[in-house]
Amino acid sequence: MWDLKEYRIAGSPGEAVAMMRRGPGKGVYIAGGTDLFLFPPQCDYAVDINHAGLGAIARTPDGDVFVGAAATLHHIATNPFVTGYAGGLLAQAAAHCGNRPVRSTATLGGNLCNALPSADLAPALLALDAVCYIVDEDSQESLPLEDFFEGPRRTVLGDRLLAGIALPAAGAGWRAAARRLTRSAEDIALVQVAVALSVADGRLGAVRIALGSVAPVPMRAMLAEAQLEGEAVADLSPDRLADAGLIAASECDPIDDHRASAAYRRQMVGVLTRRLLAGLLAEQPRNDDQGSAA
Amino acid sequence: MRMDLTLNGRPAQWEAAPGATLLAVLRDEGLVAAKRGCETGDCGACTVLLDGQPVNSCVVAAARAHGHRVTTLEGLADDPLMRRLQDALVEHAGVQCGYCSPGMLVSLYHLLRACRAEGTRPGDHAIREALSGNLCRCTGYVKPVAAAAAVAAALAGIPATGTEAR
Repeated sequence: MWDLKEYRIAGSPGEAVAMMRRGPGKGVYIAGGTDLFLFPPQCDYAVDINHAGLGAIARTPDGDVFVGAAATLHHIATNPFVTGYAGGLLAQAAAHCGNRPVRSTATLGGNLCNALPSADLAPALLALDAVCYIVDEDSQESLPLEDFFEGPRRTVLGDRLLAGIALPAAGAGWRAAARRLTRSAEDIALVQVAVALSVADGRLGAVRIALGSVAPVPMRAMLAEAQLEGEAVADLSPDRLADAGLIAASECDPIDDHRASAAYRRQMVGVLTRRLLAGLLAEQPRNDDQGSAA
Repeated sequence: MRMDLTLNGRPAQWEAAPGATLLAVLRDEGLVAAKRGCETGDCGACTVLLDGQPVNSCVVAAARAHGHRVTTLEGLADDPLMRRLQDALVEHAGVQCGYCSPGMLVSLYHLLRACRAEGTRPGDHAIREALSGNLCRCTGYVKPVAAAAAVAAALAGIPATGTEAR
């Protein structure tokens, strides 16, 4: 039983922040609640954001795909804007979270604001250059998702509210793929790797390698990315891809726990990164490869 | 706190603690088809429909129901599709201890109702995906899946009436 004194239902993002600040005592934002009810935090009130207009997924006039913080994982997994963006990488990540009834209520915002190192959506979003939108009572700020996580269960939010994320139009045609290793399909991931890249005129444009469950926060392997950006695809031998995997493995900072050893996780980062890169480079060029690199 | 909702097709008012789960309130109201299993959103014994979507009522706030539609197995008792599913589960010996059955039925009902509306017939993969949130320690899933497949094969002939069809 969660010993809340009050359940406040916000009608807009600004009202949600105001309700959070009103006190007395400590509050928590709630959307789906699937994590909060597992380990109810000590607090006096909850601020429900399900009626704050943050449940939508939309494509902006600029071609960005905006996903509201209260969009459910099922909505994300099946929305045509998301399934059609960068090979459906984010939709697939959402489809692998929990089980069908969990995905009916669990949300993007909950997955990110919990800020677990193993957040299921984080590697896909990092690989796609997602931008976070954070609202205050009467202002809004945006920042790259890399800057959102501060540590396990810690974000930059304070008492502000995550309104949603945007996937930039430039990445819509990127090739992308991800792998996650788990003990059972529903379990928390042991290792997550997501790779996204663009190819134009036989050369790599953008390269993004994002890792989860192998550091205090979901992270990008930027040294490995830098080894590959601008390189001619024809020059990328299996050894070069294996090297990129080893660099990514050297960048992460995993721990030993009851699910897996740090050494195993680190080794798997190298293996999965290499395999994902090789798979994406072997894909036949698509019509939109050219446009996406522009 | 006070909540106004549509419960099994009828207007209802609840008075519940702010931190109560949907499952706790349903069972206090005497609607006990949804079971207390894991209470961590893993086992699916507490599955109900919230605005027509299957949810684990053990990890959903009761307050979420305010202004929304909640449908439990009790509310589907007269629905022809649900009756067919119940009969099929019995005929195929897809029920043993029975604790998971109400949750399985709600999950399968959700799948098959959507398939009937789309005019599609779910294969075993779609049935297994629909049951991905329902743990069963007795049947091994083979018989419940066979029961659902049998109903799916006759789906077009099952009339769409009852609470959720409204």
